[in-house]
Amino acid sequence: MRPVTVRLFASAREAIGRGTVDWPVPAGGVPAKELVRALREAYPRLGPALRVSRFLRNDRYLTDLSERVGPGDEFSIHPPYGGG
Amino acid sequence: MTTRLSSRPLSIAAALRELEGPGLGGLVVFTGHVRPDRTRNGRVESLVYEVDLRPALARLKTIERTARRRFGSDRVVIWHRVGRVRVGEISVVVGAAHGHRAPAFAAARYLIEEVKATVPLWKTERARRARRPPRPRGRRGPR
Repeated sequence: MRPVTVRLFASAREAIGRGTVDWPVPAGGVPAKELVRALREAYPRLGPALRVSRFLRNDRYLTDLSERVGPGDEFSIHPPYGGG
Repeated sequence: MTTRLSSRPLSIAAALRELEGPGLGGLVVFTGHVRPDRTRNGRVESLVYEVDLRPALARLKTIERTARRRFGSDRVVIWHRVGRVRVGEISVVVGAAHGHRAPAFAAARYLIEEVKATVPLWKTERARRARRPPRPRGRRGPR
């Protein structure tokens, strides 16, 4: 079973010390909010970043965290932006 | 190119060339430069810009289209550096061209505000502490 590839940026990446994590999910996937909760439990230092981040599935912003994330998907964690 | 994420230096002259055109009486260009701010870790020497490339490029295109539609901008430039940018260098260039100045100013303002708030870019400061002069060794001087 292919995992979800979790991609982390900026403060989220710094919180766990790496830019990607392969996360196993069942064949039917899981709601994004469950994935976020599981990540918070596995990486407590990620909590502050998760509270203020936007989430993307396969480069599309998720507006509803009940949407499912499944095997082979990319799930990106975007802390507040700081360009300019 | 109208939208660009680049690891190479950005040029104001190149942006102006991109914006110039017949009948375009108002060209507004904004550039952001890296400041040598003081921080707890010392003086900023550079910023390192991190990007999530695909959504960032898509977002830049959306901002461009919106500026054209909302302000009637004939030509638009949105360029941003990625990677390491040293103090004094340009980190971002946005510009808009129009027949008249008011919509050109409004469009340029819109572009930079949208880039800062909605494009997945992040910066990390690289700072260095000023070196202290070495302490004299042995006797402190004539008595």
